[in-house]
Amino acid sequence: MHPVMLPGGLVSDINSCSRSDGLRGRGLWFDLQQMVLEQVEYRELLLQMTIRDLMLRYKQTIMGFGWAVFMPLVNTVVFSVIFSRVAPLDPGVPYPLFAYCGLWAWNFFASSLRFSVNSLTSNSTLVTKVYFPREIFPFSSVMVCLVDFGVGALVLAALMAYYKIHVSVAVVFLPIVLVIHVTFTAAVALVLAMANLFYRDVKYLFDVAITVWMFATSVLYPVQLVGGRLGVALQFNPMTPIIDGYRAVLLRGELPSAGPFLEATVVSIVALATAWLLFHRAEFQFAEKI
Amino acid sequence: MEDVVVVFDHVWKKFRRGERHDSLRDLVPSLARRMLGRDGSRELETQNDFWALEDVSFDVRRGEALGIIGPNGAGKSTTLKLLTRILRPTRGFSRVTGRVGALIEVAAGFHPDLTGRENVFMQGAIMGMKRAEVAAHLDEIVAFAGVSEFIDTQIKRYSSGMSARLGFSIAAHLNPDILIIDEVLSVGDMAFQRRCIERMQRFKQQGVAIVFVSHQLQAVMSLCDRALFLQRKIREIGPAADVIRCYVQSTETRRDESAGAVVEIDSGELLDSSGRPATVVAPGASLTLRASYHFHERFSNVHFGLLLHRSTDGLLMYTGSVDWSDIGPKPIEAGETVNVVFAFRLPLARGQYHLECHCYHPPTTRHLARLIPAAMVAVEEHRLYGGIVDLEMHAVVARSGHGVELLTRAGRAIQ
Repeated sequence: MHPVMLPGGLVSDINSCSRSDGLRGRGLWFDLQQMVLEQVEYRELLLQMTIRDLMLRYKQTIMGFGWAVFMPLVNTVVFSVIFSRVAPLDPGVPYPLFAYCGLWAWNFFASSLRFSVNSLTSNSTLVTKVYFPREIFPFSSVMVCLVDFGVGALVLAALMAYYKIHVSVAVVFLPIVLVIHVTFTAAVALVLAMANLFYRDVKYLFDVAITVWMFATSVLYPVQLVGGRLGVALQFNPMTPIIDGYRAVLLRGELPSAGPFLEATVVSIVALATAWLLFHRAEFQFAEKI
Repeated sequence: MEDVVVVFDHVWKKFRRGERHDSLRDLVPSLARRMLGRDGSRELETQNDFWALEDVSFDVRRGEALGIIGPNGAGKSTTLKLLTRILRPTRGFSRVTGRVGALIEVAAGFHPDLTGRENVFMQGAIMGMKRAEVAAHLDEIVAFAGVSEFIDTQIKRYSSGMSARLGFSIAAHLNPDILIIDEVLSVGDMAFQRRCIERMQRFKQQGVAIVFVSHQLQAVMSLCDRALFLQRKIREIGPAADVIRCYVQSTETRRDESAGAVVEIDSGELLDSSGRPATVVAPGASLTLRASYHFHERFSNVHFGLLLHRSTDGLLMYTGSVDWSDIGPKPIEAGETVNVVFAFRLPLARGQYHLECHCYHPPTTRHLARLIPAAMVAVEEHRLYGGIVDLEMHAVVARSGHGVELLTRAGRAIQ
């Protein structure tokens, strides 16, 4: 009923049971409570795991955090040339700013998933040898990328200053956009980490899917320009309202457009709850199937 | 808090062997086949299932150490993984009450590219320690592991012994209610192993319940009160010495390298001084063992040897032989039988021992025949010493000015 290793003697005399009929007789509400409580108890481990991954990256690559900034910048330059010289596009704000803002937000999503997809399988010794909530692996991947996202924000701020964009009061909405963004990212991260554990070719499919998904999202161009049936289909992509949300509150000084953003909010919350519950209930099979 | 902290209640665990569908590429065709109803894979799957544990029940109280022994693949590690919730039982249930320190693989959380110090914090967090708690114990942890000079070196530069020592050291500074240990003593040098055992003894005295899996029966003997001999099912559970004896006897398969060879050996029963079969004896018992050597070829220069091993760890306790050329005036002819009666004493401490008889040929430096074990014997003693041999120590204790007041033997007063 409770984790075996409880940190810091915080809750030191709680029974930890593991039953064969673990799935039966446990309510939905009970599970939801359990999985959130576990994360609270193991928050130190999540933090430690994030620190570890950050330190590793800092040690293993010369550029360290620079990498997180460099890639979106290179892409911004390339696409700025394409969409201002070759096929001019007017998204309403200076194109480099439009593109960088999109790439910056997309990059957080995509690299979180890229780390998460391997997070369980690359830590197989830990998964098979030690018990702690397995959510920590994909969650720490997201946390690491969140740090990069923060570093990337500094570049965005510099670009905004260069283009003399004044931050309006709409910026108070930024945390809400961020929370929804992280919520949706975590949901997909959980699903991918788990899927790749059961089916090892998921990570290859992921590489293809994430590229297609990027072009189906308002990263480099307003996806609303795509018309017809395809355009209708693309409206269901919750990443577009999220990325447009950043542009609205930061670049345009407006609130995110209510309808799509509300939809994305609902989708994100439902997705996280569902994905987490699935993950939590499949967790006990991980050590056997990895 | 209640006394029983570990409960394993009629636990069954099923595993699947053989191929699994671990890629979508395999899954899709097999799903398609199943939907078309042309697949017998259901039956195939049940055939591939096997029970790693069948109906295993035990419990452990506070301050008690339970040793789990058994051959490879007996389900020992599975049991530990069920206890630590890494696996879930197929039937039955397991319950662990309190904070658990698991030393299943002490260095599992180590990352080679991080320094020792960074890894200590990471591993500590994995084991459930707070950062502040680790920081407070950092110096002790490092000193216990004996890696002080290398603490800011990357783990990949460590020897395997060093990283294992560091791993154990972190766990040793946990503050657990239950300690679950899997084969950690196989790492580290002797001094470190001794420190580990001492640390575990101390945990036990502090009321920590210990579940200890090891192939080092001697370590199980010295640490554990009770032991469990596991071979999918419970073969034996009870006092450690009895269970270990049962396990040793089940593993000592008679290896007779004499069958069909030029010399064959038969051994009689091990007898005590009054001629009764000896299976459990007191230290210092006088014993005899008769062995018959049937020769199929002519030999003049052979040795008849007797070896004694401690069964729990294979330690050679004694080896000795008689040289036929010293005693026999003529060569042994083909078809002849030589009877040898070995008479000896066992001034040994408590333990399980086995004897080997052999026939050695010095000119070719080969054993013409070996019989392992020729006999088995357990030494039982209930005095306060451990060790290997019975020195039959006598002590004279005198207070100055009072003359001889008390005579003790082996730590126990003799009236």
